[in-house]
Amino acid sequence: MTKRIVIPGELVTEERKKLGSHVFVSEGKIYSDSMGLVNDEADFASVVPLEGKYMPEQGDLIIGVIGDEKFSVYMVDVNSFYQTAISKKELREMLKPGAVISAKVSRVNELNEVDLENPRAFFGGEIIELSPVKIPRFIGREASMLNLIKDWTKSNIVVGRNGRIWAKGGDTDLLKKAVKKIDKEAHMENLTNRMEEFLEKNAPKNGVKKEVMEEDMEEGEN
Amino acid sequence: MSFTELWDLRTDKLIAELKQGKRLDARKVDEIRKPIITEDVSENADGQARVKLGETDVIAGVKMIVGEPYPDSPNQGSISVGAELLPLADPEYESGPPREEAIELSRVVDRGIRESGAINFEDLSIVSGEKSWIGFVDIYILNNDGNLFDACGIAALKALLNTKLPKLEDHKIVKGEYSGKLKLNAKPILNTFAKIGNTVVADPTLLEEKAMTSRFSVAVTENDDITAFQKGLGGSFKIEEINAAIDLSFKNSKQIRKLL
Amino acid sequence: MGKKVQEITYVDSKGKRLDGRKVDELRPIKIKVGVIPRADGSAYLEWGQNKVYASVHGPRECLPKHTANPYKAVVKFNYRMASFSVPDRKNPKPGRREIEISKVSGEALERAIFLEKFPNTQIDVNVEIVDSNAGSRIAALTAASVACADAGLPMRDMVCGTGVGRAGGKIIVDLTKDEEDAPDAVDIPIAILPNSKEIVLLQLDGVMPKKEWEKAYEMAVDASMKVYEVQKQALKDKYLNGDDKK
Repeated sequence: MTKRIVIPGELVTEERKKLGSHVFVSEGKIYSDSMGLVNDEADFASVVPLEGKYMPEQGDLIIGVIGDEKFSVYMVDVNSFYQTAISKKELREMLKPGAVISAKVSRVNELNEVDLENPRAFFGGEIIELSPVKIPRFIGREASMLNLIKDWTKSNIVVGRNGRIWAKGGDTDLLKKAVKKIDKEAHMENLTNRMEEFLEKNAPKNGVKKEVMEEDMEEGEN
Repeated sequence: MSFTELWDLRTDKLIAELKQGKRLDARKVDEIRKPIITEDVSENADGQARVKLGETDVIAGVKMIVGEPYPDSPNQGSISVGAELLPLADPEYESGPPREEAIELSRVVDRGIRESGAINFEDLSIVSGEKSWIGFVDIYILNNDGNLFDACGIAALKALLNTKLPKLEDHKIVKGEYSGKLKLNAKPILNTFAKIGNTVVADPTLLEEKAMTSRFSVAVTENDDITAFQKGLGGSFKIEEINAAIDLSFKNSKQIRKLL
Repeated sequence: MGKKVQEITYVDSKGKRLDGRKVDELRPIKIKVGVIPRADGSAYLEWGQNKVYASVHGPRECLPKHTANPYKAVVKFNYRMASFSVPDRKNPKPGRREIEISKVSGEALERAIFLEKFPNTQIDVNVEIVDSNAGSRIAALTAASVACADAGLPMRDMVCGTGVGRAGGKIIVDLTKDEEDAPDAVDIPIAILPNSKEIVLLQLDGVMPKKEWEKAYEMAVDASMKVYEVQKQALKDKYLNGDDKK
């Protein structure tokens, strides 16, 4: 059964339920505040958005891009409303604009400004973008989707909650195709099964196992 | 910004009082300030008026010039109303090209008068297809204590009502001499309302405007016809609020017309 | 004395208008969502002859800083008409009319978007009219509302609306330019939030007694709800056909 798609302002339910995310109450009824999929469980209602900007949360692992260098900090683009500053002291190496790092969101204030901790620089690899609201689908329940894709592509993958996926090695072409598929079908059911078929169909026939260059980067948590 | 904080403190008090139906200047919610209308602005103006609405103070002057009619209306003249928010009227104004507030103000006042049929534009034709009267009504805000819309509306109307037409010789203006008056067929009055919380008040003061979430203006004629609407600012109105404002406008306008 | 204006019948005895529509009938409306890949949200809309592109960027940092609001996002709406969108070439520089329309259109969206969720930011809504025939401001707002939803902005409702008014003595919905030129024409652009029917945009040009306004309002709400259905379907079609252009 496909989940119901709703637009902002569309009725989710007239029943009295607990409020999950992306819904609001008006005159006793529950409405969606976003373009998304309805999660109408027995005791609470929420909507999973299909579109949207990255809303930072404490504990998120993000992938940032270094911007301007200031006296003692680097400005980092985290794909949210503002850039954030990271102290040069926290990084072992000197970085140039365009360099890629992963970091953890240590704090978010009421203006959605973030503080970052544990920055780690990446070397090489590339960034693939996917709407932040679809990242959870790329990871899947208990990382099932992510692990499936890792198995088939043999790529080193670090997923940033802010809509950026860093990847190096392995079959990055296949990875990009997989990301595209999730982008197109994030709203559909049984995606993991279909992804498995898709990867099988599109992976190169001799399935070369590529070794991961572990000294080049560090695994992030996913 | 400390300026904003000062407003917040004062508007909090205003909103609290309003919840009990009280306005800070003791007016009822549907009560307007009585306009004080005089004609002592400028001898060089062909028509003039000064209007005080409480401490809101605006002056309007009319200059009639001879120009060419628009190609698609060869036997019609035209009028153009513009309002300028002078820096001396309010420390929050800066001089420079008209901001969107001044543009909206000008266009709403203009619409209320132009669309009402108050002026028969064919009467302003001098030579069909070649020459016609163009009336420029320019309004300057001297002091802003709220409801510039209605003050400007009354000033523009009064200035037009006492506009003399310059004397023409060979279709050219003879400076300093006049021949005849501009004829108005209607007296449209603009009425502006501010929505603060769930209360709609007539003729808002500046402080009430700082507290308002939405604004609604309606121009009406003596025949109880509507000649302009303008909902402004964010927020929204219910249809019942709009219709109540219209009814109140018919009533209040009749009082204002007696003063013109 | 002016020439005698040829008698035009704006609504005939069978209730047919100049373009064949009934008094309560809208011109055809088509909407395509997600047409500008670089925007956060976008829509292309056709409404009769009107053709508009709308894009949304943001929320993003509000600059210059003195325009920011510490309590909520600021909507910066730009309504612009292309020089070739009207019969006589229009100077590309925005005129007073466009500035006023930009103002009231941005204000109309304010109530629809949960602006308090993004303090200190700005939301840029840009609409370009490339072809027009009356009702462009409502067409622009209709497209902008769809683009906002496409951008994932949290909203309490869409904004839908229509023009309504009078020509040839009859109250009609969605006037064309010919109808706006009628001697007794009244043009009322109106926009509402479909759930609550709150009025977020309302202007009027012309002379109209209150009773006619009341009838016009009722017709406008019915027509606006039809516009809402088109918006809803267009947004959903982007997913139902897997037709994601980003």
